[in-house]
Amino acid sequence: MRSTSTAEADAPAVGAGAPAARRRGGHTWPGLAFVGPYLPFLVAFGVLPMLYALWLAFTDDAGGWAGFRNFTRTIGDYRFLPAFGHVLLYTGVWLGSLVVLVVGLTLLLHGRANRVSSAFRFLFYIPGALAGASSVLVWLFMLDPTVSPGSFLVRNVFGSHLFVESIAPGKLPFIFAMIAFWTGAGGWIVIMYGALNTIPQELEDAARIDGAGPVTIALRIKLPLIRKWIAYMVILSFATGTQLFVEPQLVNQASLGLVPDTWSANQLAFQLAFRYADFNAAAAVSVDLLAIGLIAAALIVTRTGLFRTDD
Amino acid sequence: MRLAARGLRFLILAAFAAFFVVPVAWLILAPTKSDEALVTGDPLAFGGFDRLVLAWQHLDAFSDHLYRLWIGNSLLYAVSATAIVLVTGIPAGYGLAFGRFPGRRLVLSLTLVVMIMPAAALVLPIFLELNSVHLIGNALSVILPFAFYPFGVYLAYIYYATAVPRELLDAARIDGCGEWSTFRHVALPLAKPVVALVLFFSFVADWNNFFLPYTVLADSKQYPIQVGLSDLLSSTPSFNPAVGGGGQQVNIFRPELALATLLAVVPVAVVFLLSQRALVRGLVGGGVKE
Amino acid sequence: MIQRRLWLVVVAAMAMAGCSTATNSPSSGANSPGKVGGDLTIWVDAARLPVAQAYAKAHPGVHADIVTFDGDGNGATTLQTKIQLWNRTGKGWPDVIFSEQVNDPVWMAQKPFDFAAPVKDLIPQDVLARWPASSTAQCTINGTQYCVQDNLAQVVLWVNKKLMDQFHYAVPKTWQEWASLGEKVAREHPGYIVGNIGDSFSHWIYLWGNQCPLSQVNGTSVQIAATDSHCTRVAGLLDPLIKNGTVPPLSVFTPDFAQKYGGADDKVLLMPGPSWYAQAVFDQALHMPAKQITAAPPLQWENETPVTTGQVGGGPWIMSRHSTNLTTAADFVTWATTEFNPSGAESRPGYPAYAPLATKWLEQQAANPYYAADPTPALKAAADQIWPGWNLVSYPDQPVWSTSVVTELVAGKPLSSLLEPFGKALKQAAQAAGYAVN
Repeated sequence: MRSTSTAEADAPAVGAGAPAARRRGGHTWPGLAFVGPYLPFLVAFGVLPMLYALWLAFTDDAGGWAGFRNFTRTIGDYRFLPAFGHVLLYTGVWLGSLVVLVVGLTLLLHGRANRVSSAFRFLFYIPGALAGASSVLVWLFMLDPTVSPGSFLVRNVFGSHLFVESIAPGKLPFIFAMIAFWTGAGGWIVIMYGALNTIPQELEDAARIDGAGPVTIALRIKLPLIRKWIAYMVILSFATGTQLFVEPQLVNQASLGLVPDTWSANQLAFQLAFRYADFNAAAAVSVDLLAIGLIAAALIVTRTGLFRTDD
Repeated sequence: MRLAARGLRFLILAAFAAFFVVPVAWLILAPTKSDEALVTGDPLAFGGFDRLVLAWQHLDAFSDHLYRLWIGNSLLYAVSATAIVLVTGIPAGYGLAFGRFPGRRLVLSLTLVVMIMPAAALVLPIFLELNSVHLIGNALSVILPFAFYPFGVYLAYIYYATAVPRELLDAARIDGCGEWSTFRHVALPLAKPVVALVLFFSFVADWNNFFLPYTVLADSKQYPIQVGLSDLLSSTPSFNPAVGGGGQQVNIFRPELALATLLAVVPVAVVFLLSQRALVRGLVGGGVKE
Repeated sequence: MIQRRLWLVVVAAMAMAGCSTATNSPSSGANSPGKVGGDLTIWVDAARLPVAQAYAKAHPGVHADIVTFDGDGNGATTLQTKIQLWNRTGKGWPDVIFSEQVNDPVWMAQKPFDFAAPVKDLIPQDVLARWPASSTAQCTINGTQYCVQDNLAQVVLWVNKKLMDQFHYAVPKTWQEWASLGEKVAREHPGYIVGNIGDSFSHWIYLWGNQCPLSQVNGTSVQIAATDSHCTRVAGLLDPLIKNGTVPPLSVFTPDFAQKYGGADDKVLLMPGPSWYAQAVFDQALHMPAKQITAAPPLQWENETPVTTGQVGGGPWIMSRHSTNLTTAADFVTWATTEFNPSGAESRPGYPAYAPLATKWLEQQAANPYYAADPTPALKAAADQIWPGWNLVSYPDQPVWSTSVVTELVAGKPLSSLLEPFGKALKQAAQAAGYAVN
């Protein structure tokens, strides 16, 4: 635990030599035995569903080969492009807020006055306990100018004098992004803060001696060193962002249908599967989401060299 | 100059703190007020304990104590699944970090890939899988998918790979410990922080998961609390008035809904507080700055 | 330490959840065919909860499992997804469902849902004959009747007699008189309203009644002509009123509406709306005091005859063809639609569809002290004036109206400019549901 930073430094030094000979020896079975119980779950709920989704996406409901027909059919559905547009806009806004605000807040927190800093970190973290349906319900109240403690902001900054105006179509991606930021930022701030703590104190001190102010230290020294963690945050958040479901689903219920039940791509997949019983089309939409996630992850990984130092 | 900068820094942090905390404060205070007081009075005023008790009575009476059943379900699913995650995931992380077997890198890559995939995209195939073994309608249809938590495995793997030096394990083996004893007596006790972390993340993820239970559970008596909350929202006249009238006997208004939301958060908050230390010290490297 | 805590939590969880989270299949216990009794699973919305509970109380031999759900209201697809799930798993269907969506039986009776049981063998013909022909027609799909309706929801003109007398206004008889009154109200008494257009069903009030052809079914094709003159002339009539605030694009069920226009000093002068508005909206949602509201006959367009009006609801009761206790299910449905008629504050909110019960209910309403004057003549007359040219389809049109029209009205666009996009969106919904559109 406290030996973390030293362990990393030690490991390469111990590295080659004697343990290598032992490694080549009889460690095959034991390793597998430890991983064994996990494997059925990995296969049953990780690998198989992926393959099943792919299979469904390329076949029709009789089991025969359908080529790309499911994909062209769903893209032509009048709800497809709006749903993906909504989700991509939402994800973009949310990721932007994560990168700018989370990193910014963490840099602000990472200075002196440690007790104040940890108090703020705790306060930021509190909403993280309310994820999913709970956070949406809270924000349904927050966005209603008659009930909200922030009604001044809702009326004057948002321009909504009624609840229906708060959930106007143009505002929705930003509202969902705000809810996601509210619940998720705290956790990422804790992680980023920990990441900043791995930066050796000497670097900072040297920069300060050279005359750098706190802003310069933050932007020129700290920021580049946590690039890996920022990339990690972006990848994971991208994946969860595109699968937006519960927020628009609840707003659909609370708005009495004003927000459609196919607002997000995942909702569309759900409706296709469970309302029209068209699992092949639903799988096509899921594969689209999967592909977007993988492409984005690949881009980010290669651009930031995320896995370069890993195994 | 520096004072102004520090003042600005404090102001910005305080503004964000208000943004994060005020809605939660509202949520805690809301069940103590009546519906009219919520609308007409000060949003952050305290009402009365009697109103809180009344709100709980209304909530509990909904559909014959359905709320308690929802909380119980969530506990069952989250606790069972997290137990399985710990039992399978911690050893798996250990095995991936120190073992040398064919397919090790494959398992690791697969874990990573599945981790960054949108989990919701897998829910529909999982539903079909579970249906083909006739598990739909069973609590296992939720617990088993929940028990697959690649993020937990990856956390354990990173922890073992970076924080536990190989020499410790080798020393144990030299002393005559077999593989299992090495794990049990050396590696496992060292893993307390990551066990706490995985427990926390897995429990919270399972508690907050909406899409999977929403898809595989048809009977509202089996719902976990998150899906139950959406059911509550849609079944009550204040938010979904019936075309055709009536329904005010159901007695679920905004204070009751706020109370339902608040109580749904309590178990997570408890687990969070218990795991706070491990979280802050974190895996990420070192925790509190000297 | 953690292990021990975990163990305690698991034990507590099991204790709390009991063992009721195990597989849930309806126990077939005492379901003997032909007899009323045994298990009955009933799905109702919050408004129909009292009738289910009353039946259970009056029939102790029946073990009723009553589940409250959203009633498929406002065009939700809850029942479609649930029935698919039950079909796929082969179990879990309730015995009786009440739906707020009057078109639900249309898809319930067809593939792939195949949920509804024909009522012909379950309810005697002489009983079925006492529903009005229009109500039975709405429950008849491809020649077979699959449901019975709980209430008629004919649109009448609700009048605030107290305020109208106070302002010395005459009750309008035509849409044109109503519109000019609206202009007058905007000048003389701003803040007061003569209607609203923000509900998910507002098109059923204004467009259905005025014969706008948005849902004319012919086999598997549907005609949707949103720019027909019947539609555009209504939009032209409504636009100035929406603009001057006398017909706001706000739903009567929102707390915002109640705050602005309801309460002790309410601002509702007139409101075209269905027969169930009195209890559900004016009394319970808006808390309007007694001795203000009464009903007037539906508005006529200029001097066109016959006078036609719209319909908002109808509340079909559907029995499941998978039920193992159809006798009891039929008994319940019959009781709920032909006998259940409490008095006073608990009275049925809607005009019963079953004619003999309607007569009794009208007598009650004539003596109901909440009204300022007897509303029953208007309600009775309007029951036969629902325009039959609007057919039920398998897809819900409420969400289409909400998302393509109401959101834009809230943003300030005129209704006339929204008819075409509305028609287009309806066409897309129809095609997605498998209809051919012309």
